[in-house]
Amino acid sequence: MSGAALAASAAPSFFSWAAAAQGGSLEVPVEDGMIVRSFRFVDLETPVEYFNTWLTPVPHFFVRNHMHEPSELNASDLQAKDWRLTVGGEVEKPFTLTLSELSKLETHSVVNTLECAGNGRSLHRPQVPGVQWGKGAVSTARFSGPRLRDVLQRTAVKPAGKHVMFRGLDEVPGKVPPFIRSIPLEKALDSNTLVATQMNGAPLTKHHGFPARALVPGWIGAASCKWLTEIKILESEFAGNFMSPAYRFPNEPVTPGDAVKPEDTHPLTALSVKSVISGPLDGASVKPGKVAVHGAAWAGEGDIVKVEVSTDGGVTWSSASLGHDQAHYAWRLWNYDWNAKGGDYTILSRATDSQGRTQPATPIWNPSGYLYNAIDQVKIHVA
Amino acid sequence: MSHRKDAGQRSPAWGQPPSAVRPGAARLSTMLIVLAIASFTALAQQTAVVKPAEDLPPGLMQAKATTSCLECHEARIILQQRLSKATWTKEVDKMIKWGAVVDASNRDALIDYLSSSFSPDRPPYEPPRTSVEKNSLRKSK
Repeated sequence: MSGAALAASAAPSFFSWAAAAQGGSLEVPVEDGMIVRSFRFVDLETPVEYFNTWLTPVPHFFVRNHMHEPSELNASDLQAKDWRLTVGGEVEKPFTLTLSELSKLETHSVVNTLECAGNGRSLHRPQVPGVQWGKGAVSTARFSGPRLRDVLQRTAVKPAGKHVMFRGLDEVPGKVPPFIRSIPLEKALDSNTLVATQMNGAPLTKHHGFPARALVPGWIGAASCKWLTEIKILESEFAGNFMSPAYRFPNEPVTPGDAVKPEDTHPLTALSVKSVISGPLDGASVKPGKVAVHGAAWAGEGDIVKVEVSTDGGVTWSSASLGHDQAHYAWRLWNYDWNAKGGDYTILSRATDSQGRTQPATPIWNPSGYLYNAIDQVKIHVA
Repeated sequence: MSHRKDAGQRSPAWGQPPSAVRPGAARLSTMLIVLAIASFTALAQQTAVVKPAEDLPPGLMQAKATTSCLECHEARIILQQRLSKATWTKEVDKMIKWGAVVDASNRDALIDYLSSSFSPDRPPYEPPRTSVEKNSLRKSK
């Protein structure tokens, strides 16, 4: 065995975080092959070679935690007896729901591609601080739960209420600001915005926000607050670190490396158009003949209309075929059958969406490395 | 047909202590326990065991950085950064504001330690994977 040891174990709790704290090894049940960006806090990246199913199996769904997971929530307690969701702020009558009460509301499902705003950060030059995600802080699942608007309809939102704040139960270390963000009321009332309690037909796991999370489809992952415990209607955007200065984008293009004033930025909302090649992998050696160039493409609130592949470094482009599975907020798998001859190649993929957006040739640099969506490329050897 | 790289055979990346690659006595005993459990069960539920934490690299400020930074997060968060001194300065000051205990007399030395150890010209950090063995990425020749 090398690098990491593999075990078949009937006692998943045998090795624990406590053991890890004492310098032992750490067990991460069934998250096989995930790229470890960090365990404390848990940040696990999905390798691009796993982008081969429309729905990502939950154990392979990337994990992005800003802080410690809530210690008081036990995912084996499927009723989450002590968990409460409070709804207050600019509403006529604040109220509180138990998980049981939440589950009595009509369930709606949305297949959504969730992508961390920082996905691809490590590819920006100059490099910027933050979790150095490669290409895999993105995954797709069927999220289910009541619509947020159905939850809010238990009371009346006052006319002054314009934004909806989410607070999770993340445990904050030191004096780190709490993970609180808000979305505009209009997006909150969209029929596809959920208080999700399930992923791919099973209750949320703890890594993914058990027992309930916001699901703000098409938007950056940070909008979909995990371990949701409070919804508050506000008159204006929530003022806190994770709305400003974090998760903001320059209003105008900036020269890579330049500082940007806070007043020249806006909050990140919907994702960009993007494609990623999931095979052949960068650096691979393949045999001459038919080579399937394949991957996934997504566009936030847009629909993918075209994915093109170039096998000559961008001189000529051919259309890839798009997979049958599709949903408005979900990625499309794509495939291009290429007849490869011997040599070294740079293969590119470029997606275009229904809003007319196309992946840029050059990354759009910004000081926090958000929304990397340059044309993807892999270099391979055919022999 | 594509062929995957062998993540398990990567050379030890800079920034990773040898213990991250070569199991020590503690890891060996853990592995023996794991194998013992496996022999007692026919259950095929597979679990991944990865080194839970890494160390910051040697340097004058190694001990102080370990105390100041790793109270809240693990070393990998630092090991994966490749930043200029100006950016490290901003990061250190932000972390002090967020509760990192750094004596004022150590601030500049801490910034020097981080910016020399994790500068943009260093080779990239190679992150580990969970359960490398099962997904062992083999080179086909």
